[in-house]
Amino acid sequence: MAGLADRFEQFVKKLPETKIMKFVAGRILVPIWASRTPVKPQPGGPHYSVQSGDNVQRMMNLIMPLKDKSAVGRAEAALAIAQNKDEIYAGLDNVGTVHFARFVIVGENICMFSVYDGDFTNYIRDFIATIGCVFDAVVKLVEGGDAVIPSETHVEKFIDWVHAHDLYQVSDQATDLFRDIEAVNGETAITRDLRLLPRDLILQLHVNPNVSLGSGYRAYPGYSVAEVRKQFGIGW
Amino acid sequence: MVSAMVDVADVQGNILQGYRHPRVRHLILSVGDAAEARAWLGATVSGAGGVPQVTSQAPWDEKPSTCFNIGLTFEGLRALGTASQSLASFPTEFVEGMTARALKLGDIGDSAPERWPAPFDKPRDIHVIVSVHAKEVADLDRVQRQALQNARTFRLLGVREGFNFHGDYVHFGYHDNISQPRFAEIHDPEDYPDPQEMAPLGTVLLGYPNNFEGLLWHVPDPVELGHNGTFNAFRILAQDVVGFENYLTEAAKYLLTQAGVDELLPPGAETKIGAGLSREAALREIVAAQMCGRWRNGVPLAVSPDTPDPATPIPEKQLNNFDYAANSSCPYSSHIRRTNPRDAQIVQRVANNSRRLVRRGIPYGPPYDPAKPDGVEAPERGLLGNFIGASLGAQFEAMCTDWVNVGLQDPRVTGSNDPLIGANAPETGWFDVVLKSGRTFRLRSLPRFVRSRGGAYTFLPSVSAIRYLGSLGK
Repeated sequence: MAGLADRFEQFVKKLPETKIMKFVAGRILVPIWASRTPVKPQPGGPHYSVQSGDNVQRMMNLIMPLKDKSAVGRAEAALAIAQNKDEIYAGLDNVGTVHFARFVIVGENICMFSVYDGDFTNYIRDFIATIGCVFDAVVKLVEGGDAVIPSETHVEKFIDWVHAHDLYQVSDQATDLFRDIEAVNGETAITRDLRLLPRDLILQLHVNPNVSLGSGYRAYPGYSVAEVRKQFGIGW
Repeated sequence: MVSAMVDVADVQGNILQGYRHPRVRHLILSVGDAAEARAWLGATVSGAGGVPQVTSQAPWDEKPSTCFNIGLTFEGLRALGTASQSLASFPTEFVEGMTARALKLGDIGDSAPERWPAPFDKPRDIHVIVSVHAKEVADLDRVQRQALQNARTFRLLGVREGFNFHGDYVHFGYHDNISQPRFAEIHDPEDYPDPQEMAPLGTVLLGYPNNFEGLLWHVPDPVELGHNGTFNAFRILAQDVVGFENYLTEAAKYLLTQAGVDELLPPGAETKIGAGLSREAALREIVAAQMCGRWRNGVPLAVSPDTPDPATPIPEKQLNNFDYAANSSCPYSSHIRRTNPRDAQIVQRVANNSRRLVRRGIPYGPPYDPAKPDGVEAPERGLLGNFIGASLGAQFEAMCTDWVNVGLQDPRVTGSNDPLIGANAPETGWFDVVLKSGRTFRLRSLPRFVRSRGGAYTFLPSVSAIRYLGSLGK
């Protein structure tokens, strides 16, 4: 009997890795959860923090779906960035709180990834004030972009729109979950068990296919752009 | 006050210019009956039916004995039956309300909305904040009775009352209300000598250009509701006067132990700070001045770094006649420089003049008397503050998030909070006292001196908008 029980337990343990269970979980169970507990896609970006050092070097992962999803659409986006690159870079410099920024085309999206200090709305507002009219040339190629340009006269809408297109950042605690389990259970922890992830994270991933996992790695955490520039003696 | 650009009679009073009445009573109301509340609003335009008439910014020959003004929360606009399309046109921060923005404002720990007393513990119930300004309590009582004559119209959730106990002085002992944005369309620059440019009207009114060249804030729809309106961050800010005075003493004692303190206060210079002051007492006043950026009597350090009483006295009118040149004597971390950096070099290069606010504040609670220390049950004292601007996000919140707290505007203060109003904690709080040579003494264990004890974001509609809201549903 003991042997039968062991085999049954082994069978149950392996169930989550079987194709049929993955299909049931992904296509049936999660949608049922979602229908019973509807969640909205969370707005993007990091939350403002009580800790001062957490409010610098914040990540923006702006994913903007192109209207024209063909190679021609991607080429138009590339051209819009190339034509305005100098103004955009000068504008980012003038905003004063931007560590890094780059533009990337991923599939059918034009993306802007940047690392900035302080409040998100202040960053975007200063960005609009500095180079909003230039950036409009990019936004007009994007789905829903027409409703928020010219950005200079749609400031509030533009900020909300960017916030909505910035990737939701799963909290650091959620991505640290497996590590926490290891800390408690040591080597016996089952660190690959999907069932241990919080249901609200699963539901968010259901409605929000693109997310940022945690707030990211920093080589020199807690320092603002201006602190770094001052330390290097290159003006701030 | 006459302007060709704006019809000042359409703007509620106390926005473009303060009333300067010594008493204020704020009535915090919930709409009881929407139809009656709308009729009440409509009646306030003319004062019909014995309802107090809303005070506009129209010039007066003789100052009225009472003034009466109205602020509406987002929930209040909704309760009054404002169309959903119109509600959707208000900015996100106003829609979400002050409590939802707590982290940005530094309302954490003891200041968190969960700790606020009634009626601010139920923010969604707060619909209308009526403000009555007068010289006498009897006048406040009379206007309150007139305003609330029909018990069905509103539920009175709470009252907050303030009193100017010593002119423009506040509980921490500073002369306040010195610096305000002035408007070219309204004020004569001759009357307000100040190198900081006059503010564009859009700093404080919706529908006009603001300090960001080319940018316009959205005017809520329809235009008769939004135009000439503005937003207000109403804040109840408790001030820990005992804690503040004690910290000054600790700081002075610490400085006395530091080599180089003579650069901060040369021996014999105590009399310049105040007659008969000891060395410790003089250092206390220097720290207080550096924290604020002004001596307690309002004289700016930028103009008079060594004494609050310069040989040639500075007239009241000249107290804003300074800037922050690179060699300014005003510490870069001081309260007035953090909240309004004027022309100083700051990190956010486009933001220098963009976060200015009209401030209408008045103390509440009993004045602090060091000769009669508070008992165990210390009374609450503080400031009833109104921070008014056409964009809560671009002005009030922008100032709180990155300047008052965090200190992003200058790498020399990044990681610290405003010494007077910041969300400090003894474990992490610090403030740099700056010497003439540029050296600094870092004061640590800086606690929080100002706690939030309530508040709400309100929309201050124009007189036309009040009439419009009164006509809804007809």
